[in-house]
Amino acid sequence: MRDLLRLLALMRPHTGWMLLGLLASLATLVANVGLLTVSGWFIAAMAVAGASGAPINYYTPAALIRAFAILRSAGRYVERLVTHDATFRLLASLRVWLFEHLEPLAPAGLQRERSGDLLSRIRADIDTLENLYVRMLIPVAVAVLGVAAAVAFLAVFDGGLALLTLAGLLLAGVALPLGIQRLSARASAERVTRAAALRTALIDGVQGMGELAVYGQAPTQARLVDGLSTDWVAAQRRLAELQGLSQALTGLLANLTLWGGLILMVPLVTSGALDGPGLAMLALFLLACFEAVAPLPQAFQLLGGTLVAARRLFAIVDARPAVIEPEAPSPVPDGFALVLDGVSLRYGPDRPRALRDISLRLGPGEALALVGPTGSGKTSLVNLLLRFWDYESGSAQLGGQELRLFRGSELRRHIAVASQDSHLFNTSIRENLLLAAPDAKDEALRQACELAQVHAFIADLPDGYDTQLGEAGVRLSGGQARRLAIARALLRNAPILILDEPTEGLDPTTANALMRAVREAMSDRSLLVITHRAADLAAMARIVFLEQGAIIDQGTHRHMSQHCLPYRRLVERLGDAASAAGTIEPRRDPPCRV
Amino acid sequence: MPDTGTSSSADWLKRERLPIRRSLLQVVALGLAGGLLLIGQAGLLASLADAVILHSATLAGLWPLLWGLLAVFLLRAVLIWAAERTAFAAAARVKLDLRRRLFAQLQRLGPARLAGASSGELSSALLDNVEALEGYYARFLPQMALAALLPLTILVFVLPADWFSGLVLVLTAPLIPIFMALIGKGAETLNQRQWRRLAILSARLLDGIQGLTTLKLFNASRREAQVIARLSEDYRHSTMAVLRVAFLSSLTLEFFASVSIAVVAVFIGFRLLGALGWGPIDFRVGFFVLLLAPEFFQPLRNLATQYHARMEAIGAAERLVEILEQPFAESVASPRPVPPGERFHIAFERVSFAYEPGRAALEELSLEVQPGQRVALVGPSGAGKSTVVSLLLGFLVPDSGVIRINGEPLSEIDLAAWRSQLAWVPQRPRIFHGSLRENILLGRPDADEAALRRAARLARADEFIERLDQGYDTQVGERGQGLSGGQAQRIALARAFLRDAPLVLLDEATASLDAESEDLVQAGIDELARGRTLVVIAHRLSTVRDADQILVLDHGRLVEQGDHHTLLARQGLYAGLVHAYGVAA
Repeated sequence: MRDLLRLLALMRPHTGWMLLGLLASLATLVANVGLLTVSGWFIAAMAVAGASGAPINYYTPAALIRAFAILRSAGRYVERLVTHDATFRLLASLRVWLFEHLEPLAPAGLQRERSGDLLSRIRADIDTLENLYVRMLIPVAVAVLGVAAAVAFLAVFDGGLALLTLAGLLLAGVALPLGIQRLSARASAERVTRAAALRTALIDGVQGMGELAVYGQAPTQARLVDGLSTDWVAAQRRLAELQGLSQALTGLLANLTLWGGLILMVPLVTSGALDGPGLAMLALFLLACFEAVAPLPQAFQLLGGTLVAARRLFAIVDARPAVIEPEAPSPVPDGFALVLDGVSLRYGPDRPRALRDISLRLGPGEALALVGPTGSGKTSLVNLLLRFWDYESGSAQLGGQELRLFRGSELRRHIAVASQDSHLFNTSIRENLLLAAPDAKDEALRQACELAQVHAFIADLPDGYDTQLGEAGVRLSGGQARRLAIARALLRNAPILILDEPTEGLDPTTANALMRAVREAMSDRSLLVITHRAADLAAMARIVFLEQGAIIDQGTHRHMSQHCLPYRRLVERLGDAASAAGTIEPRRDPPCRV
Repeated sequence: MPDTGTSSSADWLKRERLPIRRSLLQVVALGLAGGLLLIGQAGLLASLADAVILHSATLAGLWPLLWGLLAVFLLRAVLIWAAERTAFAAAARVKLDLRRRLFAQLQRLGPARLAGASSGELSSALLDNVEALEGYYARFLPQMALAALLPLTILVFVLPADWFSGLVLVLTAPLIPIFMALIGKGAETLNQRQWRRLAILSARLLDGIQGLTTLKLFNASRREAQVIARLSEDYRHSTMAVLRVAFLSSLTLEFFASVSIAVVAVFIGFRLLGALGWGPIDFRVGFFVLLLAPEFFQPLRNLATQYHARMEAIGAAERLVEILEQPFAESVASPRPVPPGERFHIAFERVSFAYEPGRAALEELSLEVQPGQRVALVGPSGAGKSTVVSLLLGFLVPDSGVIRINGEPLSEIDLAAWRSQLAWVPQRPRIFHGSLRENILLGRPDADEAALRRAARLARADEFIERLDQGYDTQVGERGQGLSGGQAQRIALARAFLRDAPLVLLDEATASLDAESEDLVQAGIDELARGRTLVVIAHRLSTVRDADQILVLDHGRLVEQGDHHTLLARQGLYAGLVHAYGVAA
């Protein structure tokens, strides 16, 4: 219920449109019921008048019939337009709301789950919320108002009839949907779990197809998939049968109400309490008024899913950001020297420390390389510098000011990054670059790309810098994407530049040229490079070796090669033919960690 | 139709209907029977109203009519329920059958041809796209037939009862096909243009969320939020412009339906009064016709609401047709057994292969692997190393040239039997949903516990498995515990040990494992190579150094071969690859 209220609160700016949609829906319902009811009364009254020769005013009802006919068509049209318009408005503000609320969480809050999963869930959840207004709010409001009006109208003629109809409407609109929902609870749950099982088997079957084929297990997997598919359909069948039952019973309830109504009304006619045309009118009214509750079963059905979707979105959005931004304005740093003194970091109170007691200095004009095996804390160190994660002890300073005092956006003005997961957006190359400096001139773009050794490639493309990237455009290789991200970071012209594996996937000549250009461009600023290429390491002024979150040793390449055994072993292992030949292939699927 | 993809998948959908034609006919028959009952119901109601209003009948005399009505009501409910069941069963058959055929097709295409596709997308196709066809078969197709049949049936009863009202309905009847076309057209424009737009919008939002960290790094998130707001607003404007036109078709349908009812009612009324001076009519007949007038248009309105099911199905079918129509290599009709011998001599003779025409992966490649040799495949990315392995595994078939196993062409050998002679350790082994035991047993499902544990030990996998709480019964894979890259490699090695095949194909991992894992994996590989023929796509210097023969590939050709020292001395591509890195050999 709280989630529902919160959802409604999000929709408040669009109240006007939403009410207009409701009004149009109501008008359509009234017109539809009115058309049949008045028609019924009209022909019965005319027949009675014809038989008895009594005078009758036929202008008013005939005009009403025509008016209802037109109102019904126009109302339906307006209703559909207005409700769609309102839905689009709602979705637009939901999207922006979601985006703005996710922003403070990135990247820490969004990493906990596999990002693909998270994204597809967010997408599906937003789509689900699309239903809320048209398929839930409107039907419920129309039903409540419609039922009240119908019962009030009937009460004018006969209390018993009004009660009977109220009972019929409540049975069809509330009790039946709830009952069906209860009956289908198990099948509903099974449908979800069985679909998940089938999806797993399918993904296993596709991703593991090679292994299954080689080990002769392909037919087994095919049988497994078929069996799970059959199970899934069986759960669906139970739901479909209940669905059919609900549909049949809804119609039956309307008809039974009419049946009971006739039994109540005939004696009224006999006794003269109700005239003949009144009976014709009310009979048609009884049938027509069930339209008010017809969409309720669907609304009930969607409600559960919608609330779950809303709850999930709220849960994501409500996550506490990993870093609390300071209230006070950011201090002005005195220079751009980064100094870490005994810094530690952990990703959660119950998690081991990802960085322990790190002390490090990086001043302008310095070039520092960070090495260490996977999981040794290199990325954590970058996360700390960018204020994506908070440090738990020690001191970290930029230009003599503690990092904690800076707002994230202020701090990141001074640091440019090209990381392994630097995202290239599905727009043009130019727009991707301009992200770093919206006002940069073409000349500046070209310079940055030349430094990053990617200008020649871009210039060769038919559309040059206007080439579209991504799904609808050109797909870049891993190396090209990497260099474009580096160009973007260079364009930022920040006093501190961090590059994460800048040469991975590049041939040796290009890699050397890139690193030389970057070192020259940054000669009077600070450069931090995470790399595993021996040639890059040898050229850096200072090397820091990390293992299990701690600095094992730091110094020049020569010093490290002589005195740091793990470093020497690492460099030797790096001499694998693959990296040397640039054969590391772009990642196709995630590693097998689930 | 502007889009050939749309029309061909519409045709395909129609063809797929054939096996369930009988069930669909049943659904239509049930719907038609329901329609007849509805007509009967209208007749009973009209008689009852006539009796009460004009003939002062009392309740006592009406019971036969009332019982009749009750029977009709109940019967109609049963028919509706039966129709729903039958319709679902028919659609379920299509779905099950289709999913079976699609999965079989994927298996025929094989892993090498599917390598470019995302497994998530493919499983969605088999799951969600197949699901999207349900509405088409279960609801749209029957409704399509009923939209034509039910109005005609009603006319058959109304025309003899009152020719004038029948005429009013008849005049609107020829408009029915026009309505259908209009509705279809409206839905189609909406679908094709707007859904694509919506997809772009939704992709943009996801792109923004995926790139949030990058946006944040450049302090550009606020700008992106504004862009999303603007795009959403643009989308609303353009969609509403389309909808204003698209909804006109249903407006016309509504309008004709409402006006026909109004005209029928008003004329019946005036004729009953006798005010027109022509066409006297019985109240019973008039009421009967009035009750049926809305029902005349109801099937059409239902069809209009089901139309999106057709569009959805057509959209979903496109991808399915694409999968089903992909060409695959036919297997040989009567394959030969695997040539005898404990070990295999492998020869590629001028083998060419291209994934797409004009983009050769291998060009007239010739190479030889002697029995018992340890062979390393080396070369830059795209040189064709993986293609060589895929050809050996039978995932691909050469476009030209021959692969010979002990002199016999591989293409004529029974593939399953050939595969049973080899073990394969891919770069990123798949860990299947299930227990660790089941995952290792993949290598030889009938192996006993002792063999299983021996294989795990040889693969250096036993120590980490036994440290787990549930040991070999630990659930892993999609919905189970995650394994590190090194652990997954060792499970794959255990599979290979369990299989105990004479030929081992191995694609070394490029991802840097932690030092401990790496040593263990390497030890496992050395163990596995003992006494077997090993073909390895090498990414590590140590592997290359120990190889009996190094085959250096470039652009799909064999450019150098020999052992490490010979090749280094030649100062060719291999030496260049090693030296460029400044690593002492």
